[in-house]
Amino acid sequence: MVYCIGHSIISPLGEGSLANLEAVRTGRSGLRMYDHRFADVEPFCASLFDEPQAFVPLCIRSVEMAVNEQSMLSSKDTVFILSTTKGDNLDLWTPAQTIAEHFGNPNPPVVVSNACTSGVCAQITAKRLLEAGLYKYAVVVGCDIQTRFIVSGFQSFKALSPEPCQPFSPERKGLNLGEAAATIVYTSNPQPTGWRLVAGSIHNDANHLSAPSRTGEGAYRCLTDVMTGVKPTDIDLLGVHGTATLYNDAMEQTAIERAGLQQVPISALKPFFGHTMGAAGVVETILCMLQAEQSFVKMLSGFGGVNAAIRMLCE
Amino acid sequence: MEQLIEQLKSQIIDALNFEDMTPADIDTDAPLFGEGLGLDSIDALELIMLMDREYGIKLADPKAGKAIFQSVRTMAEYIQANRTK
Amino acid sequence: MRVSQEIEITPTSVILNGTPIAVSETDSKMLVELYRRYVGDYPKFFKMDTLSRLGFIGAEMMLKQSDTSSQVSAVILANHSASIKNDNDYLATISEGNYYPSPALFVYTLPNIVTGEIAIRHHIQGETSFYILDKPEQLKPIVEATLNAKYSSLNCVLAGWCECSKADTYYAKLQIIWNN
Repeated sequence: MVYCIGHSIISPLGEGSLANLEAVRTGRSGLRMYDHRFADVEPFCASLFDEPQAFVPLCIRSVEMAVNEQSMLSSKDTVFILSTTKGDNLDLWTPAQTIAEHFGNPNPPVVVSNACTSGVCAQITAKRLLEAGLYKYAVVVGCDIQTRFIVSGFQSFKALSPEPCQPFSPERKGLNLGEAAATIVYTSNPQPTGWRLVAGSIHNDANHLSAPSRTGEGAYRCLTDVMTGVKPTDIDLLGVHGTATLYNDAMEQTAIERAGLQQVPISALKPFFGHTMGAAGVVETILCMLQAEQSFVKMLSGFGGVNAAIRMLCE
Repeated sequence: MEQLIEQLKSQIIDALNFEDMTPADIDTDAPLFGEGLGLDSIDALELIMLMDREYGIKLADPKAGKAIFQSVRTMAEYIQANRTK
Repeated sequence: MRVSQEIEITPTSVILNGTPIAVSETDSKMLVELYRRYVGDYPKFFKMDTLSRLGFIGAEMMLKQSDTSSQVSAVILANHSASIKNDNDYLATISEGNYYPSPALFVYTLPNIVTGEIAIRHHIQGETSFYILDKPEQLKPIVEATLNAKYSSLNCVLAGWCECSKADTYYAKLQIIWNN
């Protein structure tokens, strides 16, 4: 078990985790139409920063916001884990190194690039490295910036919705892309109160590169793993991937039903943030924690794509 | 028409990366999806892009592709009727 | 940790469990030669980008050597330059004035796709993970931590370095690693 000791979100909806929670609570969405953001690219609906952001400075600001004691960042007991799909203009390693060096951290950073599940997988990697005793602190940063490269590719897949996405709705027309940076800090030092990451699991459907299994096999196995010793009635909130593409949502629904979790309230946040790719798993975990704090205590978060799930508990 | 069919077969082999396949290996009337060539959903999108790039035909709705992509012949017929280049 | 199989592939050489394999081609053609010799019945290979072809062939050759295919429960790979070679191929399809984004190339603009290709081929429904690291030796502690993790229920993983920065510049060193 590892303990969450800090977090932050920077998105078009606001600076800081609480500002983003407030936006979600009041129903404010970052999604809008962009006509001429990138040359050649057809108009698309997304959640983007008004001023285009540079990748590394955005990550650095997110880390600074999440951490109270900055001296921890330069410690040899701390590892930086970056979750991203396209990094800084297709370069994934250099930005991770630049961020770690900026904070004077002596350890080689780890970049997790597992498509849509990267943000959840990066937290699972953090848990493993901490539990193996290799480090005492893990700073997990999730970030992706939208580019002509990414938007044109999703358009070539005909996967983008022309309007704000509607996860799990019969009206769903596809996904929206989004930008964000989010940081979550874990430690193996026991904390008396607060959130802890109890379990994490990753499974592949082994079905098709771009189409999930009809039986939700990978997601179902993830849920079964992290639910070991826990009853569905013990779970108070389920954070889902919910991209609003036909096949993803159907797959998730099947997996949720197979795991007996269909009565659990669901948090699907992409109508607010769009699909923030490498940041999604981190953004959504933080917001699930904050949503759960209002009235709930336990929750499960984030699967889809490759499929990964974690279980969090608040004491 | 026959010339267009031959040309289209070469373009399909090219676009879908069928190494070692020649136009003669593709049956003009065989189904492209399912049994025939066994194409998948990404290949369908690649065919939509091929129609745009080579013949100036824009298919906005991928579902409309189903009827057009039944076989090389149906594709060629649609191209002949709708091409802009 | 115990290593039962190991393969090293460069554009001019293949070494399987310490024994060099004779090849007549080099560069990207060599991967096709290996495909024809050791696989032959999986035409999807030709749709793969070089990074996926590299990992796929490496996995195939190791698993053909033994009957461990059904016991591999995870694929954990890493490299330094992610999917940059295929990213550049995709970029060429969206160049200014010649904008026809290719979905078949865009699929491969994620490095972890190679882990998916291996999982699909060998029906591995356990974990697949891809890491971007500075050096190959940095993967070892991650694999160890994964094998020891409580919920991973892993006993046998296919792990290693799988790198392709340009068309004919690639390197793979893959292993089958056991927990006991």
